Amino acid sequence: MMDEHDVLLLPLLRKAQKKHGYLSEESLKKISRKTGVPISRVYGVATFYSMLHTEKQGENVIEVCSSPSCCVNGSLDLVRFLEKELKVKTGKTTKDRKFSLCKTSCIGCCDHPPAMLLNGRPFTDLTKEKLRALLKKCGKKKRR
Amino acid sequence: MQILRKTDLEAFRKARELGPAGVISLLKEKGLSGRGGAAFPVWKKWEYTLNAQADEKFVLCNADEGEPGTFKDKFIIKNNPETLIEGILIAAQVIGATRAFIYLRGEYEHLRRGLERVIDSILKESKSEVEINIVVGAGAYVCGEETAIIKSIEGFRGQPYFKPPYPPVEGLWGKPTIVNNVETLANVPQAILFDDWIEDLRLFSLSGNVTKPGIYELTEGTNLSELIALGKPKNRIKAVYFGCFGGCMPYAAMELSPEKVCVKNCAIGSYSIIAVDEKQSILDVALSVAEFYAHESCGKCTPCREGTIRIWELLEKIKKKKATNDDIDTLKDLAEQIRETSLCGLGQTATTHVLTALAHFRNEFVKEA
Repeated sequence: MMDEHDVLLLPLLRKAQKKHGYLSEESLKKISRKTGVPISRVYGVATFYSMLHTEKQGENVIEVCSSPSCCVNGSLDLVRFLEKELKVKTGKTTKDRKFSLCKTSCIGCCDHPPAMLLNGRPFTDLTKEKLRALLKKCGKKKRR
Repeated sequence: MQILRKTDLEAFRKARELGPAGVISLLKEKGLSGRGGAAFPVWKKWEYTLNAQADEKFVLCNADEGEPGTFKDKFIIKNNPETLIEGILIAAQVIGATRAFIYLRGEYEHLRRGLERVIDSILKESKSEVEINIVVGAGAYVCGEETAIIKSIEGFRGQPYFKPPYPPVEGLWGKPTIVNNVETLANVPQAILFDDWIEDLRLFSLSGNVTKPGIYELTEGTNLSELIALGKPKNRIKAVYFGCFGGCMPYAAMELSPEKVCVKNCAIGSYSIIAVDEKQSILDVALSVAEFYAHESCGKCTPCREGTIRIWELLEKIKKKKATNDDIDTLKDLAEQIRETSLCGLGQTATTHVLTALAHFRNEFVKEA
């Protein structure tokens, strides 16, 4: 058991997710055992935050900002473009598990809209061309 | 820019000479107010925390800048992190804290390493014994609320609780805690060190349909038309939003001060201005804001948890041209109910955008309905 003040649960969950790509039941149980925090609470915290995932994600996670500053600069058009390009619905992962596509609340890149996070890194002033190049770089299979 | 001036630990040294009471009275004299949105006097919060009896106290820097259209704290973390860390050290010194936290929003994780380097070098240079931990959030707007942030660091779901007790009396792990926003703490060394420091300067985050979005440091009371002109919009600006929580109003020349904005039933909050031009539909913006709140409601209290989803559904119905005039009335009634009965600031302001949009742009809703 660790001292209450030293159990920073959120950092532990983030670390585990970084290692495995998501928070499996096993990871959550391990954290519970290590910290003495009941599994119910660990699970409760893991499912509260939108950047923590208890289900497997794609190799690349795309989060497009859908808040007003990006929205009035065409970010939703880009979401539709990505849905078409990746053949996946928002909130889902592609069949080849290469990409997860989702919308996100403001990421603070309002001075360079539209913006998104790709695997946690911000990409700004997005255009369809830029997105195409990024997808290619991420190892998207060439379409016939 | 005032906020970018370097203080090089001179303010920290001066604060040490002044002692806790001296620092608090200097901040009172200078009039530094909180920059997280509520404009609470800094000296008061610090004095409450100083006077609270406890064996341990904490400083908590709120870097969970989640209000849509706001990026001023990011600007400070990127461009003058030294003054922020110095502000944290001064706060810790005043209340006698040995441990401080920076709650950095998950979306800003890429700034973490740079910030850690600055912390290390400043701690070394100042020979301060204070331990500063960065806790990275994981995507929850509500954690910008001071009690939610406390719950989040303590390892619970980041849900707000009813105040009082306020954090200066019972904060992190029940101990007296100063919770201040990044811009507030970054202004502390500036206010302490420079005689010509001006309290009235604010960092405006300007975004939306402008070709020159960015951070503009201007005095409170600057005319909105002056700010918008700096942004060089391509088309005629129709409306401005004060972030998501502050509501919207038709674009007009007016003073940007809390009082003048309040008259329009809006709130200036953290000085974020989102310009919306005539090519945009207010209904589409309302949908974007409603989706945001439905997603970000923490789920603790019923009006906000259920209500924000119903608001979104009603707006979707209007968008699909399936709504009747009754639906518009329901929308307004529900928005008022949520405002009056929600537990925390998130729910209480989650529908300001709907109410102000209906007041000023009703034709865009009815026309579509």
